[in-house]
Amino acid sequence: MSDAKAVADRLVKAKRLNALLTPPKDLRKSLNAQAAAARPTGVLYGMPVAVKDNICTLEFTTTCGSRILEGYRSPYEATAVAKLKAAGALIAGKTNCDEFAMGSSTEHSAYGRVLHPLDKARVPGGSSGGSAALVAAGAVPAALGSETGGSVRQPASFCGVVGIKPTYGRVSRYGLVAFGSSLDQIGVFGRSVHDAARVLSVISGRDPRDSTCEDRDSLRLPTVPESLQGFVIGLPREYFPPELDPAVRRACDRAIRLMKELGAAVREVSLPHTPYAVPTYYVIAPAEASSNLARYDGVRYGPRFNGAVDLRGLYRSTRGQGFGPEVRRRILVGTYVLSAGYYDAYYKRAQQMRALIAQDFRNAFDRGVDLLFTPTVPSPAFKAGEKLGDPIAMYMSDIFTVTANLAGLPAMSLPIGRIKGLPIGGQLIGQAFLEDEMIEAAYALERVVPETDEA
Amino acid sequence: MSVSREEVLRIAQLAELDVQEQALADLVAQMSRIIDYVAQLSAVPANGSVKPVVPGPDAIRFRTDEVTPSQLAFGPEEFAPDFKEGFFVVPKLGQFE
Repeated sequence: MSDAKAVADRLVKAKRLNALLTPPKDLRKSLNAQAAAARPTGVLYGMPVAVKDNICTLEFTTTCGSRILEGYRSPYEATAVAKLKAAGALIAGKTNCDEFAMGSSTEHSAYGRVLHPLDKARVPGGSSGGSAALVAAGAVPAALGSETGGSVRQPASFCGVVGIKPTYGRVSRYGLVAFGSSLDQIGVFGRSVHDAARVLSVISGRDPRDSTCEDRDSLRLPTVPESLQGFVIGLPREYFPPELDPAVRRACDRAIRLMKELGAAVREVSLPHTPYAVPTYYVIAPAEASSNLARYDGVRYGPRFNGAVDLRGLYRSTRGQGFGPEVRRRILVGTYVLSAGYYDAYYKRAQQMRALIAQDFRNAFDRGVDLLFTPTVPSPAFKAGEKLGDPIAMYMSDIFTVTANLAGLPAMSLPIGRIKGLPIGGQLIGQAFLEDEMIEAAYALERVVPETDEA
Repeated sequence: MSVSREEVLRIAQLAELDVQEQALADLVAQMSRIIDYVAQLSAVPANGSVKPVVPGPDAIRFRTDEVTPSQLAFGPEEFAPDFKEGFFVVPKLGQFE
């Protein structure tokens, strides 16, 4: 049992990263109370787990990195959080994130940007950048994040930690503040594959409060395999384009060689609709966001900004002042693609493309491939401000991750090398509800990849 | 610009969002860029036979039709700005300070 004071001290020490939104005083008080109440028989007894600020907790406020929910205390907690507590874990504060999880750099938080733990001029990735940074800085062994288009895997890759996005429906979304409901899943960060996997195992499984959560038992953890004998790993050629950062390519080549040495059969596959994944995502996600975020109107949620003379004026001023620029932009894009006259050209077309992207994966798996291996992000962590002026450049950071969200598949990122000290992540994409196979391969690869070497 | 100033203002109205005059020019440019970018989807021939993907369980599970107690840790008297005699109290519009 790590004592509450030591847990809090480690988190407060990482304060310069701006990764934690919970004030130190509140954190210490709550950790003391939680440690006293934690069940000693739980499988995560005493393990501190930081939680992204778009997941509801009773212990701390839930602001989603937004001004519109400043000071909001949820009267209920997420199923994932309740399961962590039941397993004896300590909820170690709320982590900074892009506002409503919209962003790829954690620069779009109303509470300031999160710093990359290894280079303060760079971003930790996003939107779960606070969770990734705290795990990378050694402040907590694991943290919860959430994914709509790569918001766990991309920051895991940038910060050099393990990040897992489970199959859609594996973990209950009850208490996860909705962004894109057909894409959202709670994911986990860990210092190691094992830390991430055991937290995922605890939070997974059926939940009567979420009808999109599958009626399945919680995930059973695989054992660490001796080899990868019998595994067929597919390399989708669309994920290794000529413009891929050479260091990322070298790190991937080395990881592929190591998997072969472990006995895996490696073959090239094609996922031909991959180039359309980002535009598809940036139609579907904003469309769903525009309806999910309708509730922040100053009546149901959010402060009532003064000066309105009628109800619509109240809505407009509350939303206009409460949301930051990226959220406003996405709500507008979402409203645009759903509006009369544009629905067929954008939204319907994106839905069809989503089906084709999912079919690409099924075709690859039907041909005997067990898992796919790709780079997680086309480059290492970029500099703060570098992509703020161009939303499309920022969106392209998700090019290798959005496909798994669109298809609802499990995927994870693990460190496979470094370039000039900056971590590089490799991605494994698995078949629906076969997280155990994916984690097994990750265990094997993790043991042999020299994480600290230059790729 | 594929999206005009007037369109952005109309969409903002539909979305119930105030857009500041000084932010409008940038917003028109950025929305045009995003819409132009996603428009590449329409270059792909439409295929009516493709069934849309609905992630999650294949069938909706029905629950037993019974009242389950509210699981709230605290009631509306604590989380609402104003709550009296079982009602949420909202300010009268037009009388804001």
